[in-house]
Amino acid sequence: MKFIKDYLFPRLVQYLLVVFCGITAVFFIPRIAGQDPVLEMIAQIQVQGGSLDPTAVESLMKSLEELYGLKGSLFEQYITMWKRVFTLDFGPSLFQFPTPVSDLLRIYLPWTMGLFITSTLLSWILGNLLGGISGYFSQKRWSKVLDAIIMVIRPIPHYVFGILLLILFAYVWPLFPVGGLVLGRRTAFNLDFVLRVLHYSFLPALTLVILGGASWFQQMKLLVQNVKREDFIQYAQAGGVKERLIISRYVLPNAMLPQITQLTLALGQVFSGVLIVEMVFSYPGMGLLLYRGVTRGDYNLVMGITTLSILTIATAVLVLDLIYPLLDPRIRHR
Amino acid sequence: MQCKRLVLTFMVLGLVLVVSFSALAQLPPEIPREETLIVDQLTGRVGTPSNFNLWAGWRWQDRGIQQLLLEPLWTVDYATGEIIPGLAAELPIYNEDFTQMTINLRQGVYWSDDVPLTADDVVFTIDLHTRIAGLPYHGPMAEFVEKTEKIDDYTVVVTLKTPSSRFHTHFLDRWGCLRIMPKHIFEKAEDPLTFEFNPPVACGPYILYDYDPAGFWTLWERREDWERTPTGMLFGEPQPKYVLFQAFESEEGRILAQLRHELDMAQHTLEGLRVVLDRSDTARGWRKEWPWVVNIDPCITGILFNTMVEPYNLREVRWALVLAIDIVDYMAVAFDLMAPVSSLHLPPVPAYKEAFFVPTEEWLQEFELDMGNGEKFKPYDSEIPQKIAEAAKERGFPVPEDPVLIQELFGMGWWKYAPDVAEKLLEKNGFTRGEDGKWRLPDGSLWKISIVSDPSPVHHHFRNATAAAEQWRKFGIDATVNATEAFNSLVLNGEFSVASQWPAAEPWGAGVDLSRTFDPWHSRLLTPIGQTVALGPGGGARWCDPRLDEIIEKMEAIDPFAEIETTRLLGIEGLKVLVEEMPTIPTYGYCGPVAWDEYYWTNYPGAENPYTQPYQHWPNLKYMLPFLQPKESH
Repeated sequence: MKFIKDYLFPRLVQYLLVVFCGITAVFFIPRIAGQDPVLEMIAQIQVQGGSLDPTAVESLMKSLEELYGLKGSLFEQYITMWKRVFTLDFGPSLFQFPTPVSDLLRIYLPWTMGLFITSTLLSWILGNLLGGISGYFSQKRWSKVLDAIIMVIRPIPHYVFGILLLILFAYVWPLFPVGGLVLGRRTAFNLDFVLRVLHYSFLPALTLVILGGASWFQQMKLLVQNVKREDFIQYAQAGGVKERLIISRYVLPNAMLPQITQLTLALGQVFSGVLIVEMVFSYPGMGLLLYRGVTRGDYNLVMGITTLSILTIATAVLVLDLIYPLLDPRIRHR
Repeated sequence: MQCKRLVLTFMVLGLVLVVSFSALAQLPPEIPREETLIVDQLTGRVGTPSNFNLWAGWRWQDRGIQQLLLEPLWTVDYATGEIIPGLAAELPIYNEDFTQMTINLRQGVYWSDDVPLTADDVVFTIDLHTRIAGLPYHGPMAEFVEKTEKIDDYTVVVTLKTPSSRFHTHFLDRWGCLRIMPKHIFEKAEDPLTFEFNPPVACGPYILYDYDPAGFWTLWERREDWERTPTGMLFGEPQPKYVLFQAFESEEGRILAQLRHELDMAQHTLEGLRVVLDRSDTARGWRKEWPWVVNIDPCITGILFNTMVEPYNLREVRWALVLAIDIVDYMAVAFDLMAPVSSLHLPPVPAYKEAFFVPTEEWLQEFELDMGNGEKFKPYDSEIPQKIAEAAKERGFPVPEDPVLIQELFGMGWWKYAPDVAEKLLEKNGFTRGEDGKWRLPDGSLWKISIVSDPSPVHHHFRNATAAAEQWRKFGIDATVNATEAFNSLVLNGEFSVASQWPAAEPWGAGVDLSRTFDPWHSRLLTPIGQTVALGPGGGARWCDPRLDEIIEKMEAIDPFAEIETTRLLGIEGLKVLVEEMPTIPTYGYCGPVAWDEYYWTNYPGAENPYTQPYQHWPNLKYMLPFLQPKESH
């Protein structure tokens, strides 16, 4: 009971407050940015040569406002927005009208999840494993060489690294495609299609795994070097505990805790996608979708993606807070 | 030992993976690359991949819908200066008082589902648009059409509520128009606004083969009965059996695809074009030699003033800003000296040079500005192209010596760089220069210009904005560029002072009718700041002039097809008014950095043989395809 009153309840209130403020901010920010989706559409029609007199423009604007669900005062739109949040129906995308936002999420989310979750987990495992071992054996020659390589790779921007891989493996040695998601073939669950998706996703994934892994590696190495200096490790070493056991039972589990927190937060960002990598490899992910929504003043699309993103990250943090005692025996809910 | 075995296993697996990947062909086996034309999609990834109903709004029509699937009644070809009748058998016929327009349809055209295309389709399309308010072409149809009658299967008469000699332009395709709907499909649609038109039926030479649900590609297949389409009847069999439209999210991807011969036609940035031409043995530009780029585009780029905002309401201030520009320097910054300048509010394309630029040359040379105190100044400089050529030579570019070619590359002439005259004009209007060399407005405050622009650094709007800001800063004005995503909204609502946008609406691109350029400036369309401007490019200047009103009204009262010379002379008069008033500054003609790969296909419409317009995103691509030739070695 005390746990609920003193810990769970305040955390739940905090959670709801974060979600409320985040979604409210997302509602207002695009509307004060000065970009009007209705005017964007009018500009598009005018550039195409559509000839409209002032009355026709007014009438078209009214029709578009109605179609886009932008009728009414700002407050009325705000209330409508909350209704949409509760039903998870964000209406049509304005820039990709009349496609519903939910359809776009359905199409793009699996692609992002496939690439983002796989590469995040892979880079996390590899980075932490190598970083942990390298940190423990930091005086060894191979560890120093590995550290130097990682130090060179780590600061390279995703865009530059992606282009580098693209030039090397899609042009100099043309093993991978430069874009064109499974060109000329519809989605199908057969070996050919799966192979092609792997083929197409390989370079974007490699970019994320190498750069992400390098980052995890450096963090883990530092953590392990700190943990290694702790009394209990030195006591274990002095006590003749086998090195493999010291690493796997004492060093890594202790150094892993902050990494687990960061992994949870990183996975929560799945809805934001990996914009730069998606752009370089023409990959159909959430990052590109959100970017297009922001640049075209697509309120509904931005709202849909960011709401889900806020909900996911806030929930992930809440769940992590609640299960932390399971991961770290030093922490207990009292 | 165990570790070594593990490493070996991984290496073998990796090798197998690499070998299997390298064996994967780009296209499915049933789509032979040598029979497929692959083109870059200008507007990027399709946001509505399953939706082909372009009548209901923006549906990424350049994914092949306008180029391959649909044929309009008429199409503009700005390369030849002609109007091509497509579904129509001939140009529109107006009655004497322009209250009726007759459309004679081409006989023998069929939709791809074997239904003949007849007057019923035309009547249905116009009727539907007069009734449904959400359709983008509802405005003009509801405004003008009183009734649409089918005279026989191939003749339609549209009766207009008010006389209009330009009603046909709503059906004239120049990257957009009201196209004819298949009645037998749309009459069954519950709501034409939400109807997806998928699978679409074609009256053009290709049908949909497949598309990417994520919008990165659309694949089209040539109709077996291509000869029952206007393209087939007019120009013969389109050569590629398949046409694939592919979107790239990065310039680098587009470049690499073209270098790998996986992209036949693309529009790059200027820098991208240079890389492709430098690295590929089979790629070419529109012009085979420097400056390579398409310079016959029917768009004019430049600077837009909001003439409802002080001090841009003053003609002499606008002119002072023109004379503060050193156009040679400007062109070097804006487009590396590779585009033709234009002193008129028209793109300097060959047909317009002959009809408008050459006939106004003498007037331009005699045109004077009043500097005050009885002083006059002739601002026109016909030597500008030569000066740009000299500057280009200094940069090491292979500039031709032939004066005709120099005019073709760099335009006819522009305005003198005369900061002293600009200074006098400003002082005449109460402006002062402070001790710091910066200009002050008549009220004594610092003159700041924030040029609103498209945020893309490769867009001509941004290039113009950067060049203009630099010139005006040099002159002593605190000028900056405000590159913002809200660019369109700000310009349409008049919430800007100076913008870099099309300084005039593109003319039709064929014939000598400049109504499309002048119309946005008729006083009846003038709207106050805060209210959306009715007609786009040019209209954002919120400017009008009684002389131009009169010219527009005279143009409305004549048949542009029957009274060609009168139409042309009225065009010249209108252009003179625009020069005198300078509501916007035209700088240079839009240039397209197009690259074509001749690895699989040849005979593109380059500068040496411009049989049609050169872009893959224009509707006229269908009229280019019968002329492409497959490379024999493939």
